[in-house]
Amino acid sequence: MCAATAQSASRSEELTLKEVISKYSNVSPFVIIKSDITRRSFVYTERALGALDKTKHQHQQRVLIGSNGDGERAVPVSLLLRDGTSIIAMPSPHAKNPYVVDEIGGKLYITDQGEIVEEVEYWYKPHYYDKFTSAGTPMWQVASARPQRLDIDPNSHCHFWHKGGACKFCNINANSTRSRKESNIQKQLQAQDVYETVREALKQPGAFTNLKMSSGSILSGAEIFDDEVEMYIEMLQAAGANFRQRKFPSTLVASAFNERQLARLYENTGLMTYTSDIEIPNEELFAWICKGKHQEVGYREWKRRIIAAVDIFGRGNVTSGIVGGCETARPHGIRDEAEALKVVLEEAEDFAQQGVSMVHCVWVPMQGSAFHNQETPSLEYYVQLAKGLSDLRVKYSLNADMDNYRKCGNHPDTDLDRGRPVAG
Amino acid sequence: MTTINEEIAALLRDSGVSKVLATADMQGVPHILLDQSITINDEGQIVYLELTETSQTNVNLVNSIWFKRRVAVTVSTGKETYQIKGTPAYSIICGPVFEHYYKQALERNPDYDLSTVWLIEPEEITADTYAHRRSREQAEHPLVMHLDRLALGTI
Ligand code: SF4
Repeated sequence: MCAATAQSASRSEELTLKEVISKYSNVSPFVIIKSDITRRSFVYTERALGALDKTKHQHQQRVLIGSNGDGERAVPVSLLLRDGTSIIAMPSPHAKNPYVVDEIGGKLYITDQGEIVEEVEYWYKPHYYDKFTSAGTPMWQVASARPQRLDIDPNSHCHFWHKGGACKFCNINANSTRSRKESNIQKQLQAQDVYETVREALKQPGAFTNLKMSSGSILSGAEIFDDEVEMYIEMLQAAGANFRQRKFPSTLVASAFNERQLARLYENTGLMTYTSDIEIPNEELFAWICKGKHQEVGYREWKRRIIAAVDIFGRGNVTSGIVGGCETARPHGIRDEAEALKVVLEEAEDFAQQGVSMVHCVWVPMQGSAFHNQETPSLEYYVQLAKGLSDLRVKYSLNADMDNYRKCGNHPDTDLDRGRPVAG
Repeated sequence: MTTINEEIAALLRDSGVSKVLATADMQGVPHILLDQSITINDEGQIVYLELTETSQTNVNLVNSIWFKRRVAVTVSTGKETYQIKGTPAYSIICGPVFEHYYKQALERNPDYDLSTVWLIEPEEITADTYAHRRSREQAEHPLVMHLDRLALGTI
């Protein structure tokens, strides 16, 4: 794990998108395209931006980690491929080799060096989008809509940043401060706003298959994270008051709570599934990249708590996210991609054996994060990672419906599960 | 994409006419589904409404759109039968088109929870009654037949 002794494949040796699709002919090309667009980022042509219809498409969103748009101009919040695969990414003016979204003959396409790669679509607005709560809050600032998921992120400020412990890939506090300043998006949500927005969202037939909550970590309370747990209970109860049964398809992406906190959450809310992200599945790298988490809880305890959640939520109802590729970051990351993949998949297998699916997103070195000027690994790395994680679920009969292509859409590995679903 | 003529399009639009969708899994194992609600849209694409997210048909269609594997739709009144081969081009899971069909499915049966609107683009259309198959066979393989059919005294 020392940068001085490890080797990295030279960038010029990297296979192109076409070559990767041809080499991995049993992996969905849509998932490969999604990974590469996220990894390399994209920009819009004037024609493509002209196709954005603000009466139909989403052009602003409450975003926890990432950005709420990098320019003066409204841009679509994201893209959808023909097969229903979501691309969760924002255009980046800083990207070195971006794809280009263009409008050609009345349709939108992702293009590369002037060649059409795939057709895309902008995300549509949900019906609640332009409405306001009784307190006057725009509903789009309360709930964000992925193609089939309702996101309620009640707190966009993370305490780990206070003492220099922010995860190095994350820009949450930088983004929420900017969103507050530029778009007046509040960092904390009010329970009544959540109740009213969810009530409105549920009026739209067939719009959502999952309700997800997430936020920055809150370390305060009698025990670490107690206040975070209480906030989620209040918000989940507010959202849950709109359902006719107590439990409803829902996911929490939160800090690693202890068994007492998890039981309180489960027993007092409609929550059905739980995610806590291990982020970097290697203790030494976790200590470097997720310094705050390691100092306050520690890698082993964070992992133990995630696995303990299986006893409360059930097998298949607990996942753990990783920032795929971040394990190769300079200077302490594993620069040899084959070695990095081996380390990640071995740890993922240990999680899978204990009933937890590891799911990955594609690392984007974002502005506002400590790693903003780093480079992601090759596309091939991401294809092998997605396939490797999906294969583990087949091997251990682990179902990841809670985090699938339409309930989340940010994990190339669970997108692949769609082609060979595992029964729960 | 090829164009379906108005006569066959009318059969596809008729909910009283039998329609069958044939798909195959990645090992080539076939799977057949009878669904009279299969129809055609204004763009000439065949519309199949999948109600079950992880049904064998849906999984096969996902693999078909991913790996450009063809599927077949047979439409038959008993007297007339046509087979249409094509490739799934769109798997619609959200947006106004999805909402339109979601509501339509609910009207048909309040228990229906639509998973996916599949749009299949036709590539090859063949008339598929016995008479059609036989005349094709005679034209393309005139030597393939039993001799007794040509014996003196037969029709
Ligand atoms: S815990 Fe890490 S990844 Fe999560 S919000 Fe805080 S800094 Fe970001």
